[in-house]
Amino acid sequence: MLRFPVIALAVRWIFISVLSLPIIAGVVGVMLPAFGYFPALGQDTFSLSVFAELWQVEGIGRMAWLSFFTGVTATGLAALLAIALLATFYQHSGLHTLQRLLSPLLVLPHAAAAIALLFILAPSGWAARIGAMITGDVLTPQWALPYDPHGVAVILALALKELPFIFLMALSVLTQPQLQTRLHKHIKCAQAMGYATVTAFIKVALPIIYPHLRLPVLAVLAYATANVEIPLLLGPNNPPTLAVVVLQWFNHVDLSMRFQASAAAVLQLLVTLAALASWWLAEQIVASWAKRMRLSGQRNQLSSVIQVFAWTGALLFVITGVLMLTSLVVWSVATYWTFPALLPEGVTLLHWQTALTALTQPLITTLVLGIAVSLVAVTVALLALEAEAGFMSKRTARWQQWDKIAVNITLYLPLLVPGVAFLFGLVWFQQRWLAGSVITHVFVSHLIYVLPYVFISLAVAYRRLDPRYMKVASGLSKSPWQVFWQVKLPMLFGPVLIAMALGMAISFSQYLPTLLSGGGRITTVTTEAVAVAAGSSQRLSAVYVLVQVMLPLSGFALAWYLPGRFFNPAARAKRRQKRIAANDTGT
Amino acid sequence: MTLALNNLTIYRHGEPLLSIDVTVPPGQVVAVMGPSGAGKSTLLDAICGQLSDPFSYSGDIILNDQRMNTVAAHRRNMGILYQDALLFEHMTVGENIAFALPRHVHAKTTAAERHEQIAEQLSSVGLADLQDRAVQTLSGGQQARVALLRTLAAQPAAVLLDEPFARLDAARKDQLRHWVFDTIVQRGLPALMVTHDPNDAQAAGGPVIEV
Repeated sequence: MLRFPVIALAVRWIFISVLSLPIIAGVVGVMLPAFGYFPALGQDTFSLSVFAELWQVEGIGRMAWLSFFTGVTATGLAALLAIALLATFYQHSGLHTLQRLLSPLLVLPHAAAAIALLFILAPSGWAARIGAMITGDVLTPQWALPYDPHGVAVILALALKELPFIFLMALSVLTQPQLQTRLHKHIKCAQAMGYATVTAFIKVALPIIYPHLRLPVLAVLAYATANVEIPLLLGPNNPPTLAVVVLQWFNHVDLSMRFQASAAAVLQLLVTLAALASWWLAEQIVASWAKRMRLSGQRNQLSSVIQVFAWTGALLFVITGVLMLTSLVVWSVATYWTFPALLPEGVTLLHWQTALTALTQPLITTLVLGIAVSLVAVTVALLALEAEAGFMSKRTARWQQWDKIAVNITLYLPLLVPGVAFLFGLVWFQQRWLAGSVITHVFVSHLIYVLPYVFISLAVAYRRLDPRYMKVASGLSKSPWQVFWQVKLPMLFGPVLIAMALGMAISFSQYLPTLLSGGGRITTVTTEAVAVAAGSSQRLSAVYVLVQVMLPLSGFALAWYLPGRFFNPAARAKRRQKRIAANDTGT
Repeated sequence: MTLALNNLTIYRHGEPLLSIDVTVPPGQVVAVMGPSGAGKSTLLDAICGQLSDPFSYSGDIILNDQRMNTVAAHRRNMGILYQDALLFEHMTVGENIAFALPRHVHAKTTAAERHEQIAEQLSSVGLADLQDRAVQTLSGGQQARVALLRTLAAQPAAVLLDEPFARLDAARKDQLRHWVFDTIVQRGLPALMVTHDPNDAQAAGGPVIEV
């Protein structure tokens, strides 16, 4: 019989290979045609001619620059605002309000955020209508946004999505039990020396928490430089960003475009690397400047600037969020709506009926895929963590260190390597070497993206468990499997459900992996939403996005509700008391 | 039942941290005294099989003439009590004790009988009617008593105590201390307690080892 710790260890190694092998295979599968090797199209020699041709493509430099510029600017903006918000609200009662406001945006799919922003910025959106009310125009204005040549709309959408991620990541670092008490003391100490709260946070707390934030921020940056759905929906068309053009070339009817597409994908990889390197360089410059600033002795430095920035940012953010949601709802039930009227002439549920009928099949696919991927991801992540706590803790320090490095690299690999740079290669590998249906290919590509987030989210809760509970259970003669199944899992019920919901939200939001691995044969709510947004019906599009918003939120609502019902005698007793009290007053 | 630690030395990064050589006969509580950071908790980890890097040990752990060094933690049959009760919050008070009952007890009794037994045990320590309560609703002293009942329910061959009374206030500490030691002595269990409180060591009534 296989023993549980052995199984857990095996799963930890499977975890590492599930994340790294497809990405390595994918990058190789893109590299080969980029260097002129693609036997299926009759090319079996290596050369640099494909790259030479790529340089000849008009606007290629501009495309690469757009990808770089939009990604770096959006990430810079989001990171600065996140830090300003933390500095301003860290010891402020508004922190929890802010957390609640930003959390739903975290699970909003990128495609949904882009479409929702499109609704506000579009010439028929509320911004234009309000503008027309003031100026008295009756024609829709010729806005520069969206589709502007510099990608400003893309930057806005990316920043909108990245800010909640960076902010909540930082908050989870700040609320780690030991770190939190230490930081509180540090800040109090600085305040006692006369430093303003905001300045104290910047000078004392930020240097401690930033190292914990670096990897998540770099992951966001890499993602932003190579994202497809946002520039596809909001970006300039002539030329588009590099990632978009890679997608277009790969899907070109002329198969020989594959060479150029592969070379462009390699270029995308370089653009992302350049963005990461620039970020690192900027970090060095800021760090050396900050070091001098820290010792200047000024007590109120930057305090008011940061507070104004934070409040403006928060306000704009909330207004945008509210506008996005209300305009989606209004459009989804709108009948005839002339410009520049602020509201449509009537209300109808017709669009909902049409959309929900069309969405039945994609909805089922989305749910089945999301649940299956998350279940597997949660199981794998739990067993991998179990191996870390069980088997690995008994090894030598060197062993543990190697294991830790391997896990950290593979964890961030899917987040740092752009999807367009490896997914095409992966699809080629899957079709060429692996049998199996399209749905398993989609399953694997979703798993690559879901697993890291599920692991990171579970690891925080798992490592926070008091190890003495396990020692007590061991002392009660419970085997490692019993300790895991009867003690750890019930204690982690809440975090496991949150991880499930997070995994499902990430699976729901996948656009590129679904599109490519599915070969267009698997449609989910997200792929349909992007397809419809490119079409003509704004009303239908609004319904699709609202469905996209509701899916992950209902998952999180369940994850929040169920822990009060199961494995929780305390809540059970409270409910019983409530019932008795209600009966007493009733009679 | 006897617990013997033969030339047991704990190392941290290969440097010796503390050494102990003692035989604990049945019904005796041996106290190990020392300042914090002396490796007292690590010593208990070594005895119950939970030692992890960077710690290691040499010497022998003998329980009832059996060498325990290579026996897995959950097969050593050594109960452990900490300063916190560490009752499982996803189980009721009664479930916590039922969870600890060994397999053979489960096999021989019906659920109703076990329920009855647990009720008796609880009322014998002044906790009648608390069986179906959530553990968070109990006071610190009540939780500590349930924790000892749970440890004993597993029918251990030895008991390890890690600063078991450090969290209690002075009045309750005295009361609980005597009850815990009396119970261990009555059951004829060998017990090893680490503490930095001289009163604990004195109340235990057994040999005191300074490390």
